[in-house]
Amino acid sequence: MITRAKVRQGARVIVIGGAISYRALFTWTAPAMFVSSLFVVPVLQLLFFTHLGRQLGVADDRFFVIGGAVLSAGFPCVFGGTMAVANERAYGTLGAVLLTPGGRVALWAGRMVPYVLNGLIVAVFTLVTGVLILRVRIAPADLLMIVPTLVTAAASCSALGLALGAIGLMARDVFMVSNLAMTVLLLVSGADVPRSALPGWMRAVGEVTPVTHAVVAARAVAGGAPLADALPALAGEAAIAVVLATAAVVLLRWFEHGSRRRGALDAH
Amino acid sequence: MRGDLRRVLRLTVVGVRHHVLCMSTSPMILVFTLVTPLAYATLAFYLFRAADRPGTPAQVAVGAGLMGMWESVVSRAGGAVQTQRWLGTLETLVMAPMPLAVSLAHITLAAAIVGTYSMGATLAWGMLVFGMAPAFTDPALFVLAVAGCVVSLGMIGMLLASTLVLLRNANAVANTLDYPIYLLSGVLVPITVLPGWMQPISAVLPTTWAARAVHLAAGGGGPGEVLVPMGIGLALSLGCLLPAVRMIAWVERRSRTAATLALT
Amino acid sequence: MWAVEAIGLSRVYASGAGWFRTRGARITAVRDVSFQVPEGELFGLLGPNGAGKTTTMRMLTTLLLPTAGTARVLGHDVARDPVPVRRVIGAVSGGDRGLYDRLSALDNLRYFAELYGVEPRVQRARIGELLELVGLTGRARDRVEGYSRGMRQRLHVARALLHRPKVLFLDEPTAGLDPLAARDLRQTVARLVASGTTVLLTTHYMAEADQLCDRIAVISDGVVCALGTPAALKDQVKERDVLEVEVYGAAAEHIARIEELAGVRGTSVEEREHLQVLAVHTDRGAGLLGPVVAALDGLRLGKVATREPSLEDAYLAILQESGRESAAEVRA
Ligand SMILES: Nc1ncnc2c1ncn2[C@@H]1O[C@H](COP(=O)(O)OP(=O)(O)O)[C@@H](O)[C@H]1O
Ligand SMILES: [Mg+2]
Repeated sequence: MITRAKVRQGARVIVIGGAISYRALFTWTAPAMFVSSLFVVPVLQLLFFTHLGRQLGVADDRFFVIGGAVLSAGFPCVFGGTMAVANERAYGTLGAVLLTPGGRVALWAGRMVPYVLNGLIVAVFTLVTGVLILRVRIAPADLLMIVPTLVTAAASCSALGLALGAIGLMARDVFMVSNLAMTVLLLVSGADVPRSALPGWMRAVGEVTPVTHAVVAARAVAGGAPLADALPALAGEAAIAVVLATAAVVLLRWFEHGSRRRGALDAH
Repeated sequence: MRGDLRRVLRLTVVGVRHHVLCMSTSPMILVFTLVTPLAYATLAFYLFRAADRPGTPAQVAVGAGLMGMWESVVSRAGGAVQTQRWLGTLETLVMAPMPLAVSLAHITLAAAIVGTYSMGATLAWGMLVFGMAPAFTDPALFVLAVAGCVVSLGMIGMLLASTLVLLRNANAVANTLDYPIYLLSGVLVPITVLPGWMQPISAVLPTTWAARAVHLAAGGGGPGEVLVPMGIGLALSLGCLLPAVRMIAWVERRSRTAATLALT
Repeated sequence: MWAVEAIGLSRVYASGAGWFRTRGARITAVRDVSFQVPEGELFGLLGPNGAGKTTTMRMLTTLLLPTAGTARVLGHDVARDPVPVRRVIGAVSGGDRGLYDRLSALDNLRYFAELYGVEPRVQRARIGELLELVGLTGRARDRVEGYSRGMRQRLHVARALLHRPKVLFLDEPTAGLDPLAARDLRQTVARLVASGTTVLLTTHYMAEADQLCDRIAVISDGVVCALGTPAALKDQVKERDVLEVEVYGAAAEHIARIEELAGVRGTSVEEREHLQVLAVHTDRGAGLLGPVVAALDGLRLGKVATREPSLEDAYLAILQESGRESAAEVRA
């Protein structure tokens, strides 16, 4: 039976545990690097692609501003999710974390919440800055409607990060992997290139990776379509988030069992 | 005099080779110098295709290669002093009778040369995957333009190395220098739609001219068309080099005062 | 002309020093240090950790500017003319960093040979000769990252000798080496001195200084508190006896009681596995065995002996006395 106390306990694990691990594990919290990687670089990238798009006459500014903003949530989320797992191991705290009696889902969901929030803040900042600098016309109400798509993208990217982190427990050099993941997202998500121009296999990959559907949804609402129109795309993004998060939890549990058997929880 | 010149040449070759070897044995080189530029090349190719833009698709490969070269210079030359400090070799370099600027010049040139791995990769990628061969009439001219670009970037790298070392958050600043140069210098494609106030900046950046020379050479331009922008690029870079050398001497003296040569 | 000459050399560190911040605590690491080293001598700076040895070496090797005083190497001012100084010196700064780990010993040496302007024609032979000297010939093509601490140290020595420096500075060259490697290195240093190189080395090992150095400067808290040949330093404690007592479980109060005895000049305690070796310096012929044993108040004793003072005793005495002086300074 789920009691209130249990719920409260679960919530505490999620919020407090998450916040503490965020501070301890997000090594970017060195302020200058944090600001530069998360807030300055995405805006500059957005400006570059927007002007490139203008020069080539590929699409209007709004296309690139929305794409760049949604994609900007990916960076902190993928890296953050990876670090949430990888750093626990690097600091030798993974054993202690995996051995706590609490539910794993609450535990790792807690790890993700701060990164999702972080990704959301970054994406909103990128969006607003892009809109202001490039004077893109989007109705304020429509801007507000974009927020749910950004949240969903942040969630699916964090789940991807977590899954990569779990893989990283078995492979070496997780950051190479997450770097490559971001490169793949840039290529296949259609954030900075119309997906219709991409070859079939890249489009197919994009169907099942984070960001793609969120970008579609965000562009729809930014164009004034009612949120209902964007719901299918949004649901697609959410489904990807759920699948990846499940995969991550399963991988982590598998790892936990395997290493308990081998007695090598903190082996590097 | 002839002997002196030969010694300087030898010193440069040995020094640059040394640092190219150091950089080439790092595993990070794979991701940042090869994979990322290839991703840019691919993305740019489909962007060009979406634009249904006629003209030279090889521009994409060359442009992505130039992006990789710039990234290499920003990250490796910009952090040159800090890297040597981490390795503990900064003291060894300072203690040699050669001015520190000479050792740093080896490093920044090496950074630009390692950047040409990107150019090689994107050109090969373009030809193999997209069947886009550069239209050069004269491969030697293209190689010359790339070499000019390497020297230009090496000199700009000196300015980066000497200024970034003064900033406490050099990494964070270096991190932001990629896209502005891609944009302002028309590294991938000349951007004529830049806002008016940006255009003068673009015109005085040596990277603009070096990139233009490489693009023109790849597109089949003649020696006259290529050598002029290359020369302008080199001259502007020389303008970066002179203050950089003075600044490095100042930095060295300052480190001897503040005891920061050995600090991590 | 002296090979090395320091005149009133001082260095103050502004701690927490960033590029433009000079406020904060100031540490005087080296205070008014003066000495002269003639050519061909092996001169040792001996002192405990934090005494200011490395700081002095860094100033002499042009890596650090003195905050007061001057120093010259073969007549060149280390602060004003660093380049001529750098041409004639070689330096090993201790520690195992400072090499290009991803490259081979050979690549490292080739690069520095070029930076030191070694004639191209003689480079190959010179590098081969040095690899032979430091015993790395067989491993010259291996990457440095796989080297042991001792091999790195030897490579550093080879690097420092590339341009046949007239003066060689070695900062704690044997620190962290196993005894065998340390002995090899000392032999190498001795050979270099025999062939005419002036060597300045720092160490906190008494025996090393005693065995190697022609003259020693004992440095403590940034001040040179004694300077002379090992024999002369021993003479400073000639007027003493050393009473050595093995004791089980002596506490601070016991030591304090002994130090209060008339005729006791100082004490030192060396912790062995389960006993302590107490060395009590007394005036010559003071005959304090009885009072000392009484002061130990019924503790279990091991061997008890009286002996002539060694250089180590001299060193400890010098440090203790300078400590007392600086303590007096603080009180004054
Ligand atoms: N870069 C520095 N900044 C501040 N203080 C320093 C620095 N280097 C050394 N010191 C201080 O100066 C004193 C002497 O240090 P050092 O010369 O390294 O001694 P030694 O080599 O004899 O062990 C020590 O108290 C040390 O903490
Ligand atoms: Mg020291």
